[in-house]
Amino acid sequence: MAKPILRVENIHKKFKGTEVLKGLSLTVYEGEVVVIIGPSGTGKSTLLRCINRLTEPDSGDVYLEEQKIEPGKTNLNYIRQQIGMVFQDFNLFNHLTALQNVAIGPIKVKKMDKQKAYELARKELARVGLADKAANYPAELSGGQKQRVAIARALAMDPKIMLFDEPTSALDPELIGEVLEVMKDLANAGMTMVVVSHEMGFAREAADRIVFLENGVVAEMGSPEKIFNNPEKERTREFISKITRLNSVAKDREVL
Amino acid sequence: MIDHIQYFISIWPELFKGLVVSLELSVGALLLGLVIGLPMALMRTYGKGIVKAFAVGYIELIRGTPMIVQLFLIYYGLPDLGILLDRVPAAIIALGINSSAYQAEYFRGAILSIDEGQGLAAQALGMTKQQAILNIILPQALRLVIPPWSNEVIYMVKYTSVAFLIAVPELMARGKMIISQTFKPLETLFWVGVIYIIVLSIIAKVVDIIEKKLAIPGFQMSGED
Ligand SMILES: Nc1ncnc2c1ncn2[C@@H]1O[C@H](COP(=O)(O)OP(=O)(O)O)[C@@H](O)[C@H]1O
Ligand SMILES: [Mg+2]
Repeated sequence: MAKPILRVENIHKKFKGTEVLKGLSLTVYEGEVVVIIGPSGTGKSTLLRCINRLTEPDSGDVYLEEQKIEPGKTNLNYIRQQIGMVFQDFNLFNHLTALQNVAIGPIKVKKMDKQKAYELARKELARVGLADKAANYPAELSGGQKQRVAIARALAMDPKIMLFDEPTSALDPELIGEVLEVMKDLANAGMTMVVVSHEMGFAREAADRIVFLENGVVAEMGSPEKIFNNPEKERTREFISKITRLNSVAKDREVL
Repeated sequence: MIDHIQYFISIWPELFKGLVVSLELSVGALLLGLVIGLPMALMRTYGKGIVKAFAVGYIELIRGTPMIVQLFLIYYGLPDLGILLDRVPAAIIALGINSSAYQAEYFRGAILSIDEGQGLAAQALGMTKQQAILNIILPQALRLVIPPWSNEVIYMVKYTSVAFLIAVPELMARGKMIISQTFKPLETLFWVGVIYIIVLSIIAKVVDIIEKKLAIPGFQMSGED
């Protein structure tokens, strides 16, 4: 068995009295691509944020490799460097060029020499196919290009694992493909990834495991093969068919 | 016409001295306002508990009282506490404290207008909250604050005229002195007004140039693009 990179154990999180995560556990192994699906408002973003402590869980433990993440005891900023995060709405730094967006993490957080950091940033931008956009500001990039810069920015920190929170759901349909391509390349290169996404094509192709989250717990998980064709639970089947229907409606619209 | 020009030439040396004092007051008060206002904005935006309460209390107290009251408190009130200030420092402190509350609100508005996602992304990279504020939020907020801040500069140059109430020899006070000697209020005030307008237009132009220099694509600072 491959070695676990991330272990989430029995996480609970309440917002204003409503429990969003109800004792959720999940282990992600080295090189694995886990795709998380589930209804809106079910706690998928909350789960990702509890992993790198952008949100503080009420209880439960998170381990990055052997290291338990404990605010106050572990250096949270050191942990976060090792966990790349890609947001739904990109969150690029608007006052910095694409190149500076990618380089600023290594420069400010890792105290890397500027020359080296810019070299690294150029390499990461090339990796997401944006070598020629290095000097552009976020406002001068398309949504797909912004998201690829955001991926390069996370990669520049050389993370052990990457978290993606619906990375394509803010994009126009014709821009989704370029981002998914970059993510597939990453997966093929062996990156450990946790991806919240309802792009079923991506899940089918790139996922090692699909996790169906509902009501704050893992309702079902398994290989894409099993989840798509042979789910154990009726709810899983319903959700998959609903998503597939919505996707095809979106595709039809695109054609029209 | 010639008469008017000659009158202006005769009073210009005196008015010029006043203008210099007005500008000194403006620069001093704006800087003092910046030095107090920016930390107040940060305390009000990011502070918790007593720190935040202090900033809110300070800003609202200053904004809620007339500037003349603040000026008189500092010039006539502080001596009761054993603090005796000369006219010019007293005016700079009063104008500066008054400005700091407004500047704090301009800064806070600019900070709040930057979506918090960028702060989260910075923290997700491993930046501390302070690093995120310093490297990501403030560079953008300081750009966004240029238009309201330039308004504050213009207001300030005009507001310095209240300093004549504690007999600071600024532009307005010199004008009044001249009137008492020449008995030509209308002409004197006309030239005082002209000087204010010219100086303020120059300042507006300079701010415009600075704004253009610091502009970033997609970064809307003022109405035009
Ligand atoms: N910071 C917050 N404060 C209050 N409620 C929140 C906060 N973040 C998320 N929630 C609530 O928690 C629930 C789960 O949200 P989220 O994790 O974003 O769901 P998902 O990503 O699966 O759509 C939602 O009902 C949402 O309104
Ligand atoms: Mg979400």
